[in-house]
Amino acid sequence: MTDKSHEKTGPETFFSDWMKMTTEFWGPMAWMWSAFHKTNDMTPDSTKYGKKPRIKESWDTAQKTWQAFSQVMIEPETMKTLLKGAGMLPEIFLKIAQTGSKTFVNFQKQWLEGTGKLQESAKTYNLEDPFEAWTQLYEQEFRKFFKIPQLGLTRLYQEKMIRSMDKFNIYQAAVTEFSRLLLLPMEKSFQVLQEKLAELADKGDLPEDSKKYYQIWIKILEGHYMTLFQSSEYTQSLNKTLNAMSEFSAVKKEILQDFLNMLPVPTHKEMDELYKEIYLLKKRIKELEKKK
Amino acid sequence: MIPNSRIQNRIGGDFMTQPGIAIDLILSKLAEDAEKARTLAEKAPEVLLGPLETEIATTPCDVVYEEDRVKLKHYKPATKIQLKKPLLLVYALINRETMLDLQPGKSVVQNFLQEGIDLYMIDWGYPTRKDRYLTIDDHVNGYIDNAVDFILKKHNLDKINLMGICMGGTFCVIYSALHPEKVQNLVTTVTPTHFDTDQGLLHLWMRDMDADQIVDTYGNIPGDIMNLAFLLLNPARLMIDKYVGFLENMDNKKFVENFVRMEKWIFDSPDVPGETFRQFVRDCYQKNLLIQSKMEIGGHRVDLKKITMPLLNYYGKYDHLVPPEACEPLISKVGSKDSENVCLDTGHIGIYVSSKCQKEFVPRIAQWLKQRTADKKKLKIKKMSRKKSVTTKTAPQTKPALKTKKNK
Repeated sequence: MTDKSHEKTGPETFFSDWMKMTTEFWGPMAWMWSAFHKTNDMTPDSTKYGKKPRIKESWDTAQKTWQAFSQVMIEPETMKTLLKGAGMLPEIFLKIAQTGSKTFVNFQKQWLEGTGKLQESAKTYNLEDPFEAWTQLYEQEFRKFFKIPQLGLTRLYQEKMIRSMDKFNIYQAAVTEFSRLLLLPMEKSFQVLQEKLAELADKGDLPEDSKKYYQIWIKILEGHYMTLFQSSEYTQSLNKTLNAMSEFSAVKKEILQDFLNMLPVPTHKEMDELYKEIYLLKKRIKELEKKK
Repeated sequence: MIPNSRIQNRIGGDFMTQPGIAIDLILSKLAEDAEKARTLAEKAPEVLLGPLETEIATTPCDVVYEEDRVKLKHYKPATKIQLKKPLLLVYALINRETMLDLQPGKSVVQNFLQEGIDLYMIDWGYPTRKDRYLTIDDHVNGYIDNAVDFILKKHNLDKINLMGICMGGTFCVIYSALHPEKVQNLVTTVTPTHFDTDQGLLHLWMRDMDADQIVDTYGNIPGDIMNLAFLLLNPARLMIDKYVGFLENMDNKKFVENFVRMEKWIFDSPDVPGETFRQFVRDCYQKNLLIQSKMEIGGHRVDLKKITMPLLNYYGKYDHLVPPEACEPLISKVGSKDSENVCLDTGHIGIYVSSKCQKEFVPRIAQWLKQRTADKKKLKIKKMSRKKSVTTKTAPQTKPALKTKKNK
């Protein structure tokens, strides 16, 4: 072993030797592989049309690329550059890690800000009416997530699915609020009934017949419902619920229609078009018949 | 239970305290009720499991004309026909016309037949999705007009008598304004024509309703949704008290039969054709065009002044669906010189089903029609006398339930 040869025992030589060994290993392997394919792929069809078998063709290409790459890699200049780059690796990793952590910190900051905003919003919303507060909170803080643009081939379908989720949430909120309004007279009527009974008890006029208690209650209940039904809050809630129900129903039908389009059955939309044509034709015929 | 107060009674010279709450009485009443409930529970299965007569619309009739889903029924006379000109009944598109013939002995249809009226009635049937494009024009200038033409041709007449119920009445008003030459007399019952009022809950609720969105989504308006809306008009009575009443009377066969008949009618709700609903809500409930003679049907303006035939306008004082305010103004807007408002002390359905109203309502309409379908000479004389009564303002008839206003 000479000094020169000793000098060559660094990572440079090690990598070069490894590349050489790999190429030497894959060389005979490739030869064996092509020999195997030669015997198997020589089917009458493949030779008949002068075509090379597809697998063999791609194998040959891959082998050639690897050999070319190995040749370049084992050159001393390439080795030097590569090792120099390897020395910089920790610095690159550090940079990537720093960017990642910055993004994470930013995200966390945004999230905290968002939560803070939610808390702030919750304070500003009417907390006496939790359903109304939830609706407002949903519409202003959560709904925007359902509006994130959808991408790609199926974006239209994704959009419909997401829209249906959004409409369902709105519908649920509206129904809950409406149901709460409908239950209010019940709650109040029992309250008033108790007050009324206490008053009657004070006077010593409590009815003996249990049915009378029911009659008092039902009358109070009826009165409370009438007051509620005439209020603008009720009308607004009713219309809101009806609209939310219609909107959810419409988007649900759109999704169903997409599925039906894949089946050999006519959709509502197609039938409606047909019905309209029949309607107009019938109307025209009837008019002509009358003119006769 | 500790009484809140004590009443001091002097008995036999001594002051003695007596509880304000008569617990003993309440308890004994409760015991009594429990006993009643036990008897009721024993008897009820006998009634509910036994044969019940709950058929509705049993008065014999023939379907004499059919067009799409719509049928024209002609009732078999029960007695000698006393009125040459037949009467055509037009029911609303909401619920079914079977309400006018709910049970034998309590049927508007039977009562008209007993009065010797030749009776026809339109059965609107059950609209399906293909009917969603039908407008008010199709119902009025299409189905009603064709039914009228059929009757006129069959009887070789130039005019018939027309009676409308609720929304059917509104259709009759529109029809009479567009085809006055075919209507001899017009009777409207619980008919909304003036929609700009805060009295009826429906009027309030419809004002801001987005009819476009609902119609575009559902096509036709589902009958179940309509029914739910009607139940919500008075949930205390319609969803609780009514069934408490049923529970208390389950052992009474007659009561159960009548109750089931009513239930059958109430929850038999055809869908309402979408375009008709849209137009009715928009033009009537939201813009109130009809009473202003601004509504357009089939390209023609509905001018109420063209209603020159005699008009009898019935409505219920306690009607929560079509309040008096929605009915009353009609007679002052039509061109007829012989128009009359009659207000009954009842609600929307009570006019047709309550025993009290049954005795008064139909005989009075029959009499009114007979008076106006007499020969021209007699009619002229009567018209003169009626014109006088406009100024003298006739007092209500002897029947206390009737409140009559002559041509305001």
